[in-house]
Amino acid sequence: MKPSIVAMLLVGGRGTRLQPITRRMAKPAVPFAGKYKLVDFVLSNLTNSGIDTVGILTQYEPHSLMDYIGHGASWDLDLVRGGVHFLTPYTSFEGEKWQKGTAHAIRQHLRFIDRYDPEWVLILSGDHVYKMDYRKLLAHHQKSGADYTIAGFYPDADLSRFGVIEMDASNRLQGFEEKPEDPKGSLASMGVYLFNREALKRALSEDLEEGFDFGKDIIPKTLSEGYEINVYPYEGYFRDVGTIDSLYQANMEVLDHPGLLKLNDYRKRPVHTKSSNQPPHHIMCEDSVHDSLISDGCLIRGSVIHSILSEGVFIKDDALVRNSVLHPDVTIGEDATVENAIVLEGTMVMPGMSIRFDRPEAVDNERLWALGGDDDD
Amino acid sequence: MINLFAVVDAQSRESFEKLTLHRTPSALPFAGKFRLIDFTLSNLLNSGVTTVALFPSGNYRSLQDHVGSGKRWNLDRRRDGLFVLPPKNLVMPQGEMLTFQRMHEHIEYFKRSTQKYVLLTTAQIVWNIDFEAALQEHIDSQADISEIMSETRRLRTFITQKELLLRYIRDYDVIPYKTMNDLVWREPKLKVNTIVHQAYTKLIRNPSAFLRANLDMLKFEIGQTIFKPDRPIISKEKTAPPARYLKNARLSNVMVAAGAQLSGDISDSVIGRDVTIKEHAVVRRSVLMNNAFVEAGAQLDHVILDKNTVVKQDAVLQGTLQSPYVTEKNQIITDQSGLSILLVAAEAYPYAKTGGLADVVDGLSKALSKQGVETSVILPLYKQVKEKHAETFGYLDTLTFTFAGETRKIRLYNILREKVRFYFIEHFGFFERDALYGYEDDCTRFAFFNFAVREVLGSIGPFDLLHLHDWHTGLLPALLEGEEHPPTLLTIHNIDYQGICTPDTLAEAYAQDPGKPVVNFLEEGIQNATKLSTVSETYRDELRYEYYGKNLTQPLLKRERDFHGVLNGLSKQHSPSNDPLILAPYHPGDLSPKTENKLYLQRLMRLPLGVDRFIVGMVSRITEQKGFPILIDAMSDFLERHDDAQFVLLGTGEQEHIDALKGLKESHPRQVRLNIGYDSAQPNHIYAGSDCYLMPSRVEPCGLSQMIAMRYGTLPLVRLTGGLADSVEDYDPITKEGTGFTFFNYDSADLLARLEDAYRVFKERREDWERMQRRAMRRDFSLEKQAQKMLEIYQSMV
Repeated sequence: MKPSIVAMLLVGGRGTRLQPITRRMAKPAVPFAGKYKLVDFVLSNLTNSGIDTVGILTQYEPHSLMDYIGHGASWDLDLVRGGVHFLTPYTSFEGEKWQKGTAHAIRQHLRFIDRYDPEWVLILSGDHVYKMDYRKLLAHHQKSGADYTIAGFYPDADLSRFGVIEMDASNRLQGFEEKPEDPKGSLASMGVYLFNREALKRALSEDLEEGFDFGKDIIPKTLSEGYEINVYPYEGYFRDVGTIDSLYQANMEVLDHPGLLKLNDYRKRPVHTKSSNQPPHHIMCEDSVHDSLISDGCLIRGSVIHSILSEGVFIKDDALVRNSVLHPDVTIGEDATVENAIVLEGTMVMPGMSIRFDRPEAVDNERLWALGGDDDD
Repeated sequence: MINLFAVVDAQSRESFEKLTLHRTPSALPFAGKFRLIDFTLSNLLNSGVTTVALFPSGNYRSLQDHVGSGKRWNLDRRRDGLFVLPPKNLVMPQGEMLTFQRMHEHIEYFKRSTQKYVLLTTAQIVWNIDFEAALQEHIDSQADISEIMSETRRLRTFITQKELLLRYIRDYDVIPYKTMNDLVWREPKLKVNTIVHQAYTKLIRNPSAFLRANLDMLKFEIGQTIFKPDRPIISKEKTAPPARYLKNARLSNVMVAAGAQLSGDISDSVIGRDVTIKEHAVVRRSVLMNNAFVEAGAQLDHVILDKNTVVKQDAVLQGTLQSPYVTEKNQIITDQSGLSILLVAAEAYPYAKTGGLADVVDGLSKALSKQGVETSVILPLYKQVKEKHAETFGYLDTLTFTFAGETRKIRLYNILREKVRFYFIEHFGFFERDALYGYEDDCTRFAFFNFAVREVLGSIGPFDLLHLHDWHTGLLPALLEGEEHPPTLLTIHNIDYQGICTPDTLAEAYAQDPGKPVVNFLEEGIQNATKLSTVSETYRDELRYEYYGKNLTQPLLKRERDFHGVLNGLSKQHSPSNDPLILAPYHPGDLSPKTENKLYLQRLMRLPLGVDRFIVGMVSRITEQKGFPILIDAMSDFLERHDDAQFVLLGTGEQEHIDALKGLKESHPRQVRLNIGYDSAQPNHIYAGSDCYLMPSRVEPCGLSQMIAMRYGTLPLVRLTGGLADSVEDYDPITKEGTGFTFFNYDSADLLARLEDAYRVFKERREDWERMQRRAMRRDFSLEKQAQKMLEIYQSMV
């Protein structure tokens, strides 16, 4: 059966504001809430929405992500027809096709879309935390009769970080501004676009300069050219975790407000993730874990308070972890203390070391060397 | 790639109580996120095995669902891969091990496999083993078969050459060996090697072993040898989020799978996926399977909660390491303090007794009341009871009601005896006769008893549950239907006694209660009781076959999901250490006085004296059911072969078999002693003085004498049927373990062969014999255990 909708998933983001987390991985591969990676959310949304043909556009640090997604079996996307396809930069007759900008990346792979001959193209980013049924977006779009639909969400604060949407009473887009100083609407773009395929080809086929984005270039251009642009206001939980701070906050929201993402309620809307085959975690000492999320394979001999542990973390005797997010395979040595930190994959905190921050900061082994040096002074 | 293919036995049933009602043992959830079969499949994967056959049987839906195409273990392949080979012959009973005959059903698999060597193992072992190294050891040993063992424990795991195995599979119907075990023990031509796997290994065969092995995973030094990063145990992928600990959670040494949400006080336990434990709940030394829910204030100790079990607020569940409290999948357990139960039966010791039922009601009622259950028993007031005890009874009430068209008057008496309240229903016409049963109008008498119990419920109740026994109470469930009445549990002690009546008698009884024309009391009970039980798990399974279940097979099959098996318990009074009837008391620590009892028995019976003589004892009703047709021939040959074997029997019964026994005595006058009639000798002298206790029964729903014999250190030789199969553990010549000797086929040749085995072990391997005696004496067949298992059923009903 021919799919009526093809999803194009952009996972090439560098996530510069998430350094050093994104030094060796693309932003969608960043661990989240213990056992997930950011990309799990959008892949699970797709499979929960019955969309099973997905092009994954990679560029920056693609390999860990490609290994992780594999054939897509963990999301039921390993299909004979459809399923996941990695769309990498390539060299063609015309030359090297590096992706420069989100819209530019899509244009490099229009041929992939044509192969499936869909009616609609859904454009998504792989680095957002949300649970959304794209079928509702599609219904809204179809009803609107528009050329394409932008999904927007209501940020809790500081609209000036986002692309701000202005619309009329019938949800038609009236104006769009990236990171405005003086926002004219209350809705921000989620970076989720649903295009009629023909409209997408038209919008992208013009002789645009290299390096064009949907937000910066395509939306203003199509708006001025008189495209019918519909706005879909998404009312659910949505987090863009572009900074260390927002990543930390979003993690802590899962811990403190389980009702927001409803991860335990996974029969209806599961968030799938690839399993790492570790045994259940083991809490070995007495009365030491409170108010925390703990993943498989952890071994806990110290105290964990108000923290999130990814798989394979080892907390040694008398260590204390508080208000922190620990990525996979972190070891906290005897008597060490970690507070208000995001500790990156594979980091080893030496025995007795004390790491306390006022504002959450990310640490890895390199950072620890530097901190250790400070202690000596 | 490894030159080995695998045969995985996933069909054994064994004794897992409710845990295997919905799955085969190999699909049992283990250590929070695994199933038992994951260990075997992961070991195969880590050893590079690519051809694996699973031999399942019974309800293997969850097993099939779990392994799927085998993809998780690299077994979803173009060449080789995973083969699930179901039984073709559904009637063939499953023994402990995969038989050559069962393999023959799928001989194509063996023929087509291209590897030279074959591994036979089971899906019930918790271990982490490198089969590649084991194969190399087998090749180096140049043996025909290598058996992999853990210290001295056997694991039903063998490596051999495919061609050799194929020979035995092809000839399954002409060779005397049924399984690999038989081959290793009895085939003299084969060179057998032993490979000892040094690390932690547990073959899981019952709920106690299941609980222990789970708790073992909490010991770091053991867990490390099972969950190794370089040889991971792989399970099916699941979706649960990380486990969540609430602010007031108190934890100490727990293993927790994803999705759990924990509060309360939890220690030394294994918590499965999506388990919820609420505040102020206490969980100790327990295993909680997926999605179990423990409400606030509940207390669990040594408990196995099956999937989706809900433990309601403040409920207290208490088991032991020996006998964990086990729930059934999807069960809801409420606070049972103040649970009040009425046992309804035709007899109960010490008031009215003709057979074993009276003892069971007595033992169970006492044990229940010890566990805090308010227990009452109601009986007809027979003449003999009235004459002997009526003075001590207190009068309660007089009731009148209409039965069979006439107004009847009954009087109700009661007495409190050892914390159990007994009620008696007095009716001159029906109950005041010389005997308990055996009258033409028995059906009308007990129909009346059922009606009378219904009438008095209002004045002695309310009860949370009625526990009914045998056909005499079979009408009650229907009588209580459709009204505000408690649920009923009907226990079938023996399917042979059904209370079959002509419609005429019953029409009379029902004249004022125009219901359906009842013919069969027990069938009525089976159809209408809330739940059913019988006296052993094996007997429960046997009743599915017409050979055992007879005319009631179909009604019982219909009730299969409500039908439980609970082994009767044995009173502590049966004990050689404080038995005043025997000459010299003894205990497992010092068996030597048993010899004096043996010499005393020989003197008493005027048999040639000698401690090295082999005495086979028997205390039994002499009937066809007890196996006398196969016993006579086998015993005759056995005594012929061994001058120093002696046979002592005590019992009464059918003339035909008594005559045959007399013939046996005439041909072996110096070896056989018969005591026909129960007065002539004390059974305890036989229990204490014999070496081996014989029970070749064709049918034996539970049987108590084999348990008594074991307690007296007299090793039972039994046929594998009913309660015998559930209580006697066969001698294993390699591990020297066991508590007796068993055989399956109802056939004198098999019985004789087993008698020979027992004789040889007694004569040639006296150390093994004594080891088994001590093991047998320590087996736990207590009333407490029976009461606890009954309580588990009660709690699933109220």
